[in-house]
Amino acid sequence: MTLLLAAACQPAHLGDWRNLIAVIWDFLSLSLFSLGGGNTLLAEYHYMAVDKYCWLSSQQFAEIYAIAEGAPGPSSMIVGLLGMGAAFEEGPFWALLSGVMAEVAILLPSTLLMVIAALSWNRFKTSPFRLAFERAMGPITLGVLFAVGLKILRISDHDTPAYAVSAVVCFLMLRTKISPLWFMAVAAGLGVLGLVNR
Amino acid sequence: MPPTHWQLFWGMQQVALSSFGGGLSAWSERIVVEDKAWMSKQEFITGLTVARLFPGPNQINMAIYIGSHFRGLGGALAALAGILLLPFSVLMGLGLAYYYLHTSMAMDRLLAGVITASAGMALSMGFKIAAAYFHDRVALLLAAISFVAMTVFHVRLVPLVLVAGPLAMVWYWPRKP
Repeated sequence: MTLLLAAACQPAHLGDWRNLIAVIWDFLSLSLFSLGGGNTLLAEYHYMAVDKYCWLSSQQFAEIYAIAEGAPGPSSMIVGLLGMGAAFEEGPFWALLSGVMAEVAILLPSTLLMVIAALSWNRFKTSPFRLAFERAMGPITLGVLFAVGLKILRISDHDTPAYAVSAVVCFLMLRTKISPLWFMAVAAGLGVLGLVNR
Repeated sequence: MPPTHWQLFWGMQQVALSSFGGGLSAWSERIVVEDKAWMSKQEFITGLTVARLFPGPNQINMAIYIGSHFRGLGGALAALAGILLLPFSVLMGLGLAYYYLHTSMAMDRLLAGVITASAGMALSMGFKIAAAYFHDRVALLLAAISFVAMTVFHVRLVPLVLVAGPLAMVWYWPRKP
């Protein structure tokens, strides 16, 4: 059954302009829903890249997330890596172009809104709409972040030692100020030694 | 004298470069408020509030805020290009390397390890902000409903926010004393 489903999922070919427009529209429309800094969108990115357009396997998605977290700069740049994965078969030029386009699409609407917000903040500052919006989105963001965390955990870890490493990293992230790069380096070592498996 | 487009571009590039290794927000304040004195600390904090409230990555929003504060849309785009250019180029390089190499045996072992760490980091995101809501039962209920909707019923984020958002806003609408 799993094999059948996997075979049914054909990568959406971006050479067809209807696919291309559908993908760009998906990123554009997600942009304004990136609450709480953007990590709330990770489950949507997984749905798009793995289930809907079949660019990546779940395992690859977990790896790309790790790269985006480890790389300098905001981790929401993962969208660039998704775009790259969508067009990688076509060669490095199209992979890069696709990566840049995906990042532009996800940033464009929120950028324009942010410009408007910055220029008219004094009028919004004390409006009841703003107060209600701020207080309403916080708890939703909280629930979504837990759902996203669990999703990433599920696609990344498949045995007890792996879950144990994730739990320890989670604890240390909350209780210490150690740079996450150290956790990734140690975990990479554990992987090479064969102590954690997929 | 407000900074020019070029100054905004280079200033944000400096922020991005200094923060390789973490702490983007702290570096941004240090460079924009202390080194260049473009903004007062108070103005900067207002910017952070706006950046966090509106959709988009916080540090990127902050760059857009700074840019548009001085030079409108053009300034925002200059600041955005400045904050993104270096990190995004590095990421694209890493991405190409990944897509070429990830099928090798050694990389596979290494990545199998790395993703356990990044999964732990992903899990910590919710816990990080949870403490702020412990005193508010309605907030915890909202969070629980959002979590269950996504995890158990596979509701997508957009319909979830479009339904739960307005309901929550009605509840939290400021009441007259």
